[in-house]
Amino acid sequence: MLKMTHLQKVYRTHLIETYALRDFSINVAEGEFVAVTGPSGSGKTTFLNIAGLLEEFTGGSYLLDGVDVHGLDDNGRSRLRNEKIGFIFQGFNLIPDLNLFDNVDVPLRYRGYGAAERKRRIEEALGRVGLSSRMKHYPSELSGGQQQRVAIARALAGSPRLLLADEPTGNLDSLMARGVMELLEEINGQGTTIVMVTHDPELAARAQRNVHVIDGQVTDFDAEASLRQSSSAAAADTAIA
Amino acid sequence: MEIRPILSALMRSKVSMILIGLQVALTLAIVCNALFIIHERLQRMDRPSGMNEADTFIISSTGFGQGFDVKSSQQADLALLRSLPGVADATSAITVPMSQSGWSTGVSLKPNQTTDTASTALYLVDAHGLSAYGVQLVEGRDFKPEEVQFKTFNERVVPTSVIVTRALAQRLFPDGDALGKQVYYDNEGPASTIIGIVERLQTPWLDSDFIDNSTLAPVLFPYGNATRYVVRAEPGRRDEVIKVVEQKLQEANPSRILSKVRTLEQVRAEGYANDRAMAIILGAVIFALLAITALGIVGMASFWVAQRTRQIGTRRALGATRFDILRYFQLENFIITSIGLVVGGVLAYALSLWLMSAFQAPRLPWHYVPVGFLCLWTLGQLAVLGPALRASRVPPAVATRSV
Ligand SMILES: Nc1ncnc2c1ncn2[C@@H]1O[C@H](COP(=O)(O)OP(=O)(O)OP(=O)(O)O)[C@@H](O)[C@H]1O
Ligand SMILES: [Mg+2]
Repeated sequence: MLKMTHLQKVYRTHLIETYALRDFSINVAEGEFVAVTGPSGSGKTTFLNIAGLLEEFTGGSYLLDGVDVHGLDDNGRSRLRNEKIGFIFQGFNLIPDLNLFDNVDVPLRYRGYGAAERKRRIEEALGRVGLSSRMKHYPSELSGGQQQRVAIARALAGSPRLLLADEPTGNLDSLMARGVMELLEEINGQGTTIVMVTHDPELAARAQRNVHVIDGQVTDFDAEASLRQSSSAAAADTAIA
Repeated sequence: MEIRPILSALMRSKVSMILIGLQVALTLAIVCNALFIIHERLQRMDRPSGMNEADTFIISSTGFGQGFDVKSSQQADLALLRSLPGVADATSAITVPMSQSGWSTGVSLKPNQTTDTASTALYLVDAHGLSAYGVQLVEGRDFKPEEVQFKTFNERVVPTSVIVTRALAQRLFPDGDALGKQVYYDNEGPASTIIGIVERLQTPWLDSDFIDNSTLAPVLFPYGNATRYVVRAEPGRRDEVIKVVEQKLQEANPSRILSKVRTLEQVRAEGYANDRAMAIILGAVIFALLAITALGIVGMASFWVAQRTRQIGTRRALGATRFDILRYFQLENFIITSIGLVVGGVLAYALSLWLMSAFQAPRLPWHYVPVGFLCLWTLGQLAVLGPALRASRVPPAVATRSV
């Protein structure tokens, strides 16, 4: 699903160069639920941004669902993002002036679906996160956990193959966090690949596989193993547990 | 198109939308009416006087001293003027069009008529009058030298033959057979015969409601010791002739004071000074309003782009292309402007109605408003382009980088 080899990301300002990722290799198989952990500033968000085509990388190679994304222009990246990837942000990133229906509608409009198709998908997605009855509400009228559910519905509505989540529970209390985690597990159970950055070891433990990033590198001892036998992700899960 | 979500999002930030919309509305209403007034003034300024304005100038002479005889001095001056190289013709005259002062009188078809048939300006000239003014004779004949009478203040002189403008002829004789007819400039008579018709010669008053009704009469009438001459130079030689004329007239008779020469172009400029000032002021008002509206749009859009940076990044992360973002802001401006324009269209006609009742202004032609729509739509789209382009360059990574 996602294959990075010797990926490198350097942020250059006129004064300093920051190696956010160096020799970063990871392979996420279709249907996996991977939790990414690591200290602050280690490069987790950078990895996720590159994986989600929000940023370009400076070296190495990246295959997304078999497509080498290196040669893509901005429009091509936007289209691929829209079709293959769903984003979940720590701050939810809902559009405050749009009601839930219109929020979930945003990526679908960029996809160019017709009105009937969009309506069907929005209702289905909001149904999946249990918020069908709140479609005309605005984000500010919801709790944080509910807002994150809307964001998940928005990420799901376009049926992405890959869900990328950057600390999706970082702004939530533990009860809400557990609810969101359960939802993600359910989604993963239905076949969507999930890569989730988290600071919460408890949540990380619930993922099938943990990837630990330190100083821009994957330090997970079984990363080598998972590269070899990525299809049997469940084995890695037990190894960590 | 994403009009509905943009509109519903706008409804949640009504104040800024209303501010910009109202600005657009007021701008449309004022600009349409101001443009129309400018157009009216320009049309007014564009009216031909009927004279050859480019080559003609006027100069006045006031004699002094006991030996001064105005009649012989006038004849000597005219002979001198006509002999000068570069002078096409000259006449003695009291007034010229656009000068705002002169004589008017009533004309009747019968003696002792209770109300005059028409009002007319009176141009007293000699047999060179038509040629010196450069007006175009379209029917009949010019005055003959022997028809010219000499009048002083105390004498009552009624011309036996007159030349009238086409507009006056038409007014007096709507059937178009004015030539040769008799009319009365004096209730007691005698009658005057229309011996010629000229195409056009405006009255001296730009605001008169009979501006095209003029009569030329072959009468010389100095104002005491003062005479005014109308001199037409050969094409292109006006300025050179002016210098010679001033010098020669002074030399010919030192016991007089010559006024400063005024060209017909100067007379026109002074006559229409108010109209020009009005057009310039309104032009400045229009420019200022458009500039303020454009700046308002730029400012508001820039603020919105800055405020929504994370939202833009999120949209990019969700799959919006740069063009999608650009289009979003252009469309948003289009919607706000359109709402403002609809209100402004109503305001424009309301303002026009008020101008009509308060100042007897003519009605605003309907097409000003749709043209104004196009202009303000364009203005809005151009004004928002800068901020919209800036928005389209917001990197998608701000979705995860800024919290
Ligand atoms: N736009 C940028 N310009 C320069 N340096 C950057 C930029 N973005 C990130 N960095 C640097 O890259 C490194 C990795 O940052 P990243 O955001 O990926 O860390 P993180 O693991 O997500 O941290 P956190 O847990 O605090 O979110 C950091 O040293 C950071 O300062
Ligand atoms: Mg981070």
